[in-house]
Amino acid sequence: MGIKKASCMLLTFLLLFTLAACGGGNNAANNGAKTTNDNGKQDSSAPDTSKFVKVSYVVLGDKPKNGQFEKVLAKVNEIMKEKINAELEWKWVEWADWQTKYNLLLASGEAVDLITIGTDWLDTWANAQRGAFMNLDELLPRYAPETWKSVPEEDWNESRYNGKIVLIPENDYTQWVNHGFFYRGDWAKEAGLGEPIKNWEEIGQYLQYIKDNKPDVIPWDMASGAVTWGGYIQSYTDNLDLPISTGYMPVFTAQSNDEKYTVAEPIFSDLFLNYAKLMKEWADKGFWREDALNNKNDNRIALKAGLSGLDQHHTQTFSTLRVEMDKAEPGSELQMFPFNRTGGKNLMELSITHGGTSLGAHSKNPERALMAYDLIRNNEEIYHLINYGIEGVQYEIKDGKRTLPANYNEASDSFYADFWGGRVDKFEIPSETVWSEIGTLYDEYDKIKIPYPYGQFVFDKTPVESELTAISQVAGELGPAINFGKVSDPAKAVEEFRAKIKTAGYDKVKAELQKQLDAFKQKMEAAK
Amino acid sequence: MDETFVSAHKKTDASGLVVRWIGYLFIGFFALCCLLPFLLVLGTSFTSESAIKLSGFNFWPKEFSLFAYKIVFENPDLIIGSYIVTIVMTIVGTAVGLLLVAMTGYALQRPDFMYRNKISFFIYFTTLFSGGLVPFYLLITQYLHLKDNYLAVLLPGLLSPFLIIMMKSFVRSIPHAITESAKIDGAGDFRIFLRLILPMTTPALATIGLFIALGYWNEWYNSMLFLSPDMKYRTLQLFLYNVITSADFVRNSAASSNVQLRDVPLESMKMATAVVATGPVILFYPFVQRYFIKGITVGAVKG
Repeated sequence: MGIKKASCMLLTFLLLFTLAACGGGNNAANNGAKTTNDNGKQDSSAPDTSKFVKVSYVVLGDKPKNGQFEKVLAKVNEIMKEKINAELEWKWVEWADWQTKYNLLLASGEAVDLITIGTDWLDTWANAQRGAFMNLDELLPRYAPETWKSVPEEDWNESRYNGKIVLIPENDYTQWVNHGFFYRGDWAKEAGLGEPIKNWEEIGQYLQYIKDNKPDVIPWDMASGAVTWGGYIQSYTDNLDLPISTGYMPVFTAQSNDEKYTVAEPIFSDLFLNYAKLMKEWADKGFWREDALNNKNDNRIALKAGLSGLDQHHTQTFSTLRVEMDKAEPGSELQMFPFNRTGGKNLMELSITHGGTSLGAHSKNPERALMAYDLIRNNEEIYHLINYGIEGVQYEIKDGKRTLPANYNEASDSFYADFWGGRVDKFEIPSETVWSEIGTLYDEYDKIKIPYPYGQFVFDKTPVESELTAISQVAGELGPAINFGKVSDPAKAVEEFRAKIKTAGYDKVKAELQKQLDAFKQKMEAAK
Repeated sequence: MDETFVSAHKKTDASGLVVRWIGYLFIGFFALCCLLPFLLVLGTSFTSESAIKLSGFNFWPKEFSLFAYKIVFENPDLIIGSYIVTIVMTIVGTAVGLLLVAMTGYALQRPDFMYRNKISFFIYFTTLFSGGLVPFYLLITQYLHLKDNYLAVLLPGLLSPFLIIMMKSFVRSIPHAITESAKIDGAGDFRIFLRLILPMTTPALATIGLFIALGYWNEWYNSMLFLSPDMKYRTLQLFLYNVITSADFVRNSAASSNVQLRDVPLESMKMATAVVATGPVILFYPFVQRYFIKGITVGAVKG
């Protein structure tokens, strides 16, 4: 076959494919919009629940295999049937290649009803752009009135795409994932440090005390994955984290809460040099192993065995680790030094759209689906069933706290529903695995916290994809030695890092990021 | 083959001996390199997680533990069910796939088949350009309605362009005159194919059969896409994959997402799943291995 003929055919094929693809996309979007309008017009009286329907809810997680989930759902459905003549069906997207499967599910136009979303980890805005979700503006007040009333207007604004509400945020649930150091209160006291620790110098003194007085303990037995550069930025600048990943260590941040649309350059400020010097100093003093870069051990296990004095992770981890430590090392009084404590101006709340629920554009029963959601979120009995299981089987309440029943067996009785689409604090029962005084830390946060500003910002990395990869590579190559103080001359290492990152295309990425932030700023200010 | 080996052995002089011993040493060393990692996997799978944490992987378990296997086999009926699904899928898929590939390959190279080049081009074309994941997913779920149906996993694996091309080039080595003479003797096309061509292509069939069988044995992606967790039994590899990923996930993000935390021995469990997944293939491999070598060689020379 001649080349001409073949290329002709090829072109025809390509054209056909493109046309088919475009056509499909448009249809999906149109259908979504149409259904909404129809619904808006049709119903003007009380919701009609005469016909029994099934409502599906797509969640992320592995389906529990011990049969407890079915039992709990049956109880939930008894109430659902009685109240709204409907039944819930839980659909699981397993952790095996979940990104692909989740997005395919939405792209295929399958009739899903309720579906878990997350703007920062589940591509929600991109999916909204493709018309995967139904517009909820008209449906919400009518079919999910309690939810509609309980979510404040500014939170609804965070949930809009192109001016239309496309998701219900998880705005009423406290989760803190800000990082910090965990240190032992008893040793800090012995070291003569005033409670609580407020900066990195005191952490250094604490580690020095352990080094001098606890011969069997490695002051900080950190493993190869530990990176504290981001924490150092949080402690000694007002910079905010941006939702853009540069691999091993953060390279771009925003200036501050007042200038949240301006890119800052922590790598090119003195801060980076100070950090490199401090890490070198700590490494030379022997605060961690010589071979820390290759250390694959679990620092947390060492901590619990009393063989390490410091750990680094987020508040949510601390809240349960404290209880475990009180058991493993009685009297250790594990404390947390949150990185944001030092400056106190850049503690961002978790985005309220980190979790949430949307309605699929092809949902067959959008009304009933929203009514079911309203019940899950606002009916205490259903909420407790879905989040904790059956009282007496999965949990017991003792002194106002959730504990495991005496005859509880992990394999046959454990239960989870992976419901992260609208948890609310008011129905949460404190668990005995969570430190009872965690509230003091939360109070401290509440005084300084700022709302998460980038909920609707999605960095489109296509124009600078290769530069970003190159930057990540430099960070992964030169970063670890600096982070672990394994360089002979910090100043030189920092210079080399800066030079290489420039070559990798730092300026281009920065310009693109600033451009997109400017556009985002305009959008946010127009919305006000 | 054995005879030449024996006679060569008798004749060998000193230099030949040296070469032979170097050969033995080299191949022996290479075989050891292949075998040791697997022994390490086996050893680690029986080691307790805390021993792995403290002293790393070992050939001989420092602290013997069956905990990893206990978690993998936590629901014995599930793993047995997945085994059966995979075994049935492999047997049926290999048998049907082999027949289809052989027939297609044979037909495509018969000189008296007029449109062979055009059709070959269509098959070849799909190896260069594919529709991509979304159209594939839409085809299976929306047009063929095969979601939650084992056929969704079975059908896409039956015919692969690569194997057809391989078969085609192998059958080409059989002279067309054989087909023609059989035709003159009054044999129909099916009889020619089944009685004359197939027996002459055994090495290729064994090779391609092994490819297809391994494909089905290792299949997890299509089952992940099309068989939802609502189906009780899915393929073995997906089952094992899920055991690992869920354990991984539980460890990494238990705190941030409030998932119930349980103590899972991740490292030894990975090894245990590897043992469970490879076991039967290792048992089955020696039986087809001799065909395999021959088939690959022939394919390479003529292809």
